[in-house]
Amino acid sequence: MSVLAVSNLSKRYRRGGKPFAAVDDVSFEIGLAETLALAGPSGSGKSTIARLVLRLIEPDAGRIEFEGADFLSLSGGALRARRARLQMVFQDPLAAFNPRATVARVLDDPLRIHGIASRAERPRRIAALLERVGLDAGLAGRAIHEISGGQRQRVAIARAIATRPSLIVLDEAVSALDVSVRGQILELLLDLQRQERIAYLFISHDLGVIRAVAHRVVILDAGRIVESGDARTVIASPQSAIGKALVAATPKLVRTSQDAA
Amino acid sequence: MTALLSIHDLTVRYRRDGIEVAALKGVSLDIEAGERLAIIGESGSGKSTLALAVAGLLAGSAEIGGTIGWSASQFQTPRSVTPPSVLPDISPARGEIAPSSPALQIAKVEEWEPALMLPISPLAGEMSGRTEGGAKDRQRLSLTNASIGGRDIGFVFQDPASSLDPVMPIGKQIAEVVRTHVGFAWPEAYAKAKTLLERVRLPDPESALRAYPHQLSGGQKQRVAIAAAIAAGPKLLIADEATSALDTIVQAEIVALIRRLVAEDGMTLLFISHDIALAATLAERIVVLRHGELVESGETRQIIAAPRHAYTRALLDAHLSLDAEPLLDRQGASA
Amino acid sequence: MRQLRRFFRTPETVAGAAILVLLVAMALAAPLLFPRDPQAIAGPALLPPFQDWSLPLGTDRLGRDVLAELFHGARTSLAVGLAAAAAALLIGAAVGTLAGFAGGVIDEVLMRVTDAFQTVPSFLLALAFVSIVGPSLGVVVAAIALGAWTGPARVARAEVLSICERDYVAGARVIGMHPLEIAFREVLPNALPPVLALSSVIVAAAILTEAALSFLGLGDPNRVTWGDMIAEGRAVLRTAPYLSIFPGIALVLTVLGVYLAGEGVVESTAVRRSLS
Repeated sequence: MSVLAVSNLSKRYRRGGKPFAAVDDVSFEIGLAETLALAGPSGSGKSTIARLVLRLIEPDAGRIEFEGADFLSLSGGALRARRARLQMVFQDPLAAFNPRATVARVLDDPLRIHGIASRAERPRRIAALLERVGLDAGLAGRAIHEISGGQRQRVAIARAIATRPSLIVLDEAVSALDVSVRGQILELLLDLQRQERIAYLFISHDLGVIRAVAHRVVILDAGRIVESGDARTVIASPQSAIGKALVAATPKLVRTSQDAA
Repeated sequence: MTALLSIHDLTVRYRRDGIEVAALKGVSLDIEAGERLAIIGESGSGKSTLALAVAGLLAGSAEIGGTIGWSASQFQTPRSVTPPSVLPDISPARGEIAPSSPALQIAKVEEWEPALMLPISPLAGEMSGRTEGGAKDRQRLSLTNASIGGRDIGFVFQDPASSLDPVMPIGKQIAEVVRTHVGFAWPEAYAKAKTLLERVRLPDPESALRAYPHQLSGGQKQRVAIAAAIAAGPKLLIADEATSALDTIVQAEIVALIRRLVAEDGMTLLFISHDIALAATLAERIVVLRHGELVESGETRQIIAAPRHAYTRALLDAHLSLDAEPLLDRQGASA
Repeated sequence: MRQLRRFFRTPETVAGAAILVLLVAMALAAPLLFPRDPQAIAGPALLPPFQDWSLPLGTDRLGRDVLAELFHGARTSLAVGLAAAAAALLIGAAVGTLAGFAGGVIDEVLMRVTDAFQTVPSFLLALAFVSIVGPSLGVVVAAIALGAWTGPARVARAEVLSICERDYVAGARVIGMHPLEIAFREVLPNALPPVLALSSVIVAAAILTEAALSFLGLGDPNRVTWGDMIAEGRAVLRTAPYLSIFPGIALVLTVLGVYLAGEGVVESTAVRRSLS
């Protein structure tokens, strides 16, 4: 059973007076607790797909079925209620939060909006969310700009799981992090996926990261799907020109003598 | 090999909202003439501060201690001393880094000199590469050429969009650098600009001269920024996270371009990056910084194959290569 | 603390702040120092200043105490200036936020209304409004605000448009926040600083407009205003120029003070904003 089924999705923009297809007839499915990665060079339409799936922008054509129901026909309150099940984590956690917000407020919002916990109960729920993502509950009172980048991204994940979603869109969610922090965040995401059965739409330009966490990968070029399949198989022997170029361009670390050691 | 540049016990501190943050704590380092040296570190490691200090672009409430010494023998023909008009009012060298005798010149950087505010957030922690707040702000210092006592340094920033003037055709921007630093008249400067655009492999350089930055892609903009950086024929090219905002394919192209230009012109390269694998593809020698201190330095091969320091090893282990065991499997096994 | 220190860095802002403090002190002290009705007769008519120390600035044509009138006038000027500016900023910020956030037809309609208000000279608008509704303090405030909200509305809209592009607004939509809550809780507070930067200019203009309305006899007749005093003094300008000069100086100093202090606030917060 698929959590998300996207079919024949298209979105056109005008650039310099000429129309061009940012997303062109794209179809894919994501299963329960599955990670599907979208890879491709910049301008290939990865982020546009993310925003279409979240209905931050509206498609020109195509169908989005979320949890078995037509997602594009929803509007107003019904759409807002449905959003609880479909969350997002952005690339830059500092830009993804209101600059005036505190950690507590960021986590309070989804609980309040979706009526998940009463006002009295919320502080306890916030503390539990923080602990779930490996943060100290005492962090709740801090301002967003006071905490470190890695902590911020954990708070963003806590906010995304607050409403118990079945799918989280991760738009370059680890690209801006230091490598040492990146590993921990990826582990956290995998742990959440195992425990809470969350599916991920994982957008990244980094094949190394995709290979580490994704089950399947879709490679995009100029808004079209050029290749898709099992993540390791595709990355090991890409068939499309862009897939080959992406693999070739990924820096390789040859640590020969460590193998000997 | 002679040292082009000798950094001794360099210390840089920033003051922000009354809190003093040490960006560099007593870093000593020689940069050999003609070598490709990579400075590796995570956010807050001081790698960009080091690059700015070498370029003499450290403005800010920075308090600078230690010495940066230049080997004058590397420069047979002293270049124009004119400060680049494109730079904001930053005296390139705070302190007398002056050229003179052919011997190794150790110039004293004035002790603890407060200057303009340079926003480097101690809180930008754990974020490197693409969106580091501090890095963005620093780029406002903008263009590409610093001349220190007649020696030119080419500087390529992370975000080419903020180091190029959005309302000036790129041909004019490059020609202006040529005019100011080499002393050419406009027609020759334009001809040189065209040659430079050809050298950085910009498609259709003739019409690119008249293009504005917003008409180019991110990778093309970075090519233009590199053309401007090498316009005055610098001995030292500094690339500060120059490929971090680009996608993998364009990143590989820019790295190849830098490698070719450095080889053709015999430039010395200082390549600042958070990505140790990327740096290893380009540099002959790697310096690892952490929290403002030099952790380890050595030949690239040795650093990658047999790192001496645990931190370097941790950085290497954190790299997700295309042949490592996926985390997905490790988790599954532990579950 | 740091902000205060930055604020008091330049002599202009210190002078502006000093004038404002003096003005507020005058307004607050007026009922204590001059508990009698300032419009009541206090002595002989047209007593020149510095003659009688119980009436230091003399009296006007009707024998009213000029100093008492100045003090009570400060109350009116400040009250009208601040209230009108607050109303203008509030209306402007709300209209601009709605227009920028909603976009489409709502934006189009709101901005055309803004255009309409902006093309009519604001003083004429105030004049017409007061002459139709009748002069009272509230009406004067409304009349001035009516002509002053367009500037804040335009600035707020521009700021809101840029903020709406940011990730955290998308983030608020993703968690299912209601559009009105996004507009007024997430976007508006972050759009305010540049709007508030207009406040010194608006307060200064409001004080001048109020004085001009009073001068033309359209001020609240039950309150002493500086504009009123200048108008009164005009009849005897040759024989008793001080009757116009004193309130005139008070007016000039007030506007100058508001403007200088406002600039200081803007500058000190601008530095903070550029750092954060």
